[in-house]
Amino acid sequence: MLLLGTLLMGITSEQHSSASSIDSSSDPSAAAATSSSSFCAPMQSNNSARFDLSTELRLGLSISSSYYNDLFTTPTTTTRVQPLSWPPIRSILRSARLDKALDQKQASLFIKIYMEGIPIGRKLNLFAQDGYDSLMTTIAHMFLTTILCADRVHSDKYHVLTYEDKEGDWMMVGDVPCEMFLNNVKRLKITRADRC
Amino acid sequence: MMNYFPDEVLEHVFDFVTSHRDRNAVSLVCKLWYRVERFSRQRVFIGNCYAISPERLIDRFPGVKALTLKGKPHFADFNLVPQDWGGYVQPWIEALARSRIGLEELRLKRMVVSDESLDVLSRSFTNFKSLVLVSCEGFTTDGLEAIAANCRFLRELDLQENEIEEKKNLWLGCFPDSCTSLVSLNFACLKEINLVALERLVARNPNLKSLKLNRAVPLEALQRILMRAPQLVDLGTGSFVLDRDSDDSETYRKLRGTILKCRSIRNLSGFLEVAPRCLPAIYPICLNLTYLNLSYAAGIHGSELIKLIRLCGKLQRLWILDYIGDKGLEIVASTCKDLQELRVFPSDPFGAGHAAVTETGLVAISSGCPKLNSLLYFCQQMTNAALIAVAKNCPNFIRFRLCILDPTKPDPVTMQPLDEGFGAIVQSSKRLRRLSLSGLLTDRVFLYIGMYAEQLEMLSIAFAGESDKGMLYVLNGCKKLRKLEIRDSPFGDMALLRDVGKYETMRSLWMSSCDVTLGGCKTLAKQMPRLNVEIINENDQMEFAHEDSQKVEKMYLYRTLVGPRKDAPEFVWTLV
Repeated sequence: MLLLGTLLMGITSEQHSSASSIDSSSDPSAAAATSSSSFCAPMQSNNSARFDLSTELRLGLSISSSYYNDLFTTPTTTTRVQPLSWPPIRSILRSARLDKALDQKQASLFIKIYMEGIPIGRKLNLFAQDGYDSLMTTIAHMFLTTILCADRVHSDKYHVLTYEDKEGDWMMVGDVPCEMFLNNVKRLKITRADRC
Repeated sequence: MMNYFPDEVLEHVFDFVTSHRDRNAVSLVCKLWYRVERFSRQRVFIGNCYAISPERLIDRFPGVKALTLKGKPHFADFNLVPQDWGGYVQPWIEALARSRIGLEELRLKRMVVSDESLDVLSRSFTNFKSLVLVSCEGFTTDGLEAIAANCRFLRELDLQENEIEEKKNLWLGCFPDSCTSLVSLNFACLKEINLVALERLVARNPNLKSLKLNRAVPLEALQRILMRAPQLVDLGTGSFVLDRDSDDSETYRKLRGTILKCRSIRNLSGFLEVAPRCLPAIYPICLNLTYLNLSYAAGIHGSELIKLIRLCGKLQRLWILDYIGDKGLEIVASTCKDLQELRVFPSDPFGAGHAAVTETGLVAISSGCPKLNSLLYFCQQMTNAALIAVAKNCPNFIRFRLCILDPTKPDPVTMQPLDEGFGAIVQSSKRLRRLSLSGLLTDRVFLYIGMYAEQLEMLSIAFAGESDKGMLYVLNGCKKLRKLEIRDSPFGDMALLRDVGKYETMRSLWMSSCDVTLGGCKTLAKQMPRLNVEIINENDQMEFAHEDSQKVEKMYLYRTLVGPRKDAPEFVWTLV
């Protein structure tokens, strides 16, 4: 039985996203804005000033063209901090997305994984895998072995992946939909194929 | 001929004339038509609340039932307008309340709304039906309590992206039991909500067609709400996660079953929090969707996102984060053949640009979706060749807004400015009404815009152009221009003052970090008394004040029939 056939979807971890953006005439659904004080730019001084993009440079936005270099001067007056105005996205959504990045509720599911014959185990974040096949590939890399489906081969050369579920039973990985597996898995074990 | 008809007949004919512009045109034909039109007008749109006074509105249109008002300039969205600049709705509501106006609908955008205004609103108009607040601020949930408690026939309460201070979480419970007329409810911008009150409200409002929840509404509650409201057309989910520890397979199963019954959903948004493993629950409704807004759904990306898109063959409007990538946009192009509007937002506006989209994605969309007429695209880079291809594939743009995250980036292949690319767009899309530019641009792009963009009404310029000629090309060429907003571009007094009469044909002009001087603005203000020329001065440095040669940091001018506004804060100088 192939693992992929039962797969409906994979799981990815929470992204560390910084901000979203919506233009002004968009649909709503953001949380109310928190202060955008984490994004600051020096204020334009009134004298021949241009918007100082050095803050944005620090934040990763690079202005490659030297064409505009002469337009950007450092403000000479004491500056008041102002929230960022580029790129043109609404700050309510910038901060909503920041809140998102900080909200790590569903970020990770680290479980122990042992390989038969090796006393020291590893830990793996199941939510960072994108489905069964991604899981198998990651484990195969971690333990430098080939993981196969149980009914394919019974030999001591290959390994299969098993897991302990909530009830304490050891089951073959791959029989149930991925989401159900993720709900029930407590830990993983790589056992030799001839043992199954 | 029409002059021999009684007024009632004229009025009846005018009933079929619904758009604001058409009605405005009708009112200019002759005095008779002006009179009949003004007494029969029910819907009034005021694009700049400082262009006219509430008293004059009431005087001219005593029958007004639906009013739209806009306050702050568009660049206020990007933090360019300081707090307390203005845009207060209070005087409007007070004036309307004092008169005998039977207001039923109020739509406000970028205005400051106080709890007191909402209270007065809720108690002054017995037939009040619809309140839509977009990007407003200044009120709390106390104001919402007043609306809920007092507006007996409320059909619509739509809160889009407002900044609302949340005090007590009671307002939803203030809708009386007799409130059964709701058709549309949107509170997605709030953080909290009273769940019990929400479920009861949905249960007793069978006409509810549009419901947009916030992230405080968990999946279990969504399932119960959808059970009560399978007739929904427009759904914004709140939190779309199942707690891992709870017994979630049952909830999930129930949700799937309930969603299968919601056959009318055409618009889907929300997913403020989402666990991708729950997404298959919505797969059955995807094939009917015409509008999908995933711009807040940071939790959906990669293969999840693709799987979802592949099911949405009837999409006409798609709003998405740039997680989709160029490859994902190719899939959109092959799946969504009816696509008319696409918005791609940056997931990481300041980042190194790994997951983003480029010109490749846009070209793919243009080849697969020839009906595309509205675009907002935040990307890492763009080429002239791509824009030329897009222009050829999609000649129907009404709105074209491109934002290259590095604002002065040239075509990375040729290292040329993007003048030719944008030129191709304006030349091919003859019905273009709105355009936003970015990337390295010289005066040439403005030459093209002036020559070809005959229907252009709104133009946004940032970090572009080389000289006054650029701005002049636009002011001379774009006869239908209504709103021009410019930042960080080398346009000065010469361009500003060349054709001062032009600004009375426009709603407003914004210029910030440009080369216009105080002296130039003063000259303009003197020559054009029916313009308010406002200078925003955030510096407290008095020694810089009053030097005519000094460059103005922020200028906002607009036509008005009522002179300088009386509510300007001290940092706003209205020049006369």
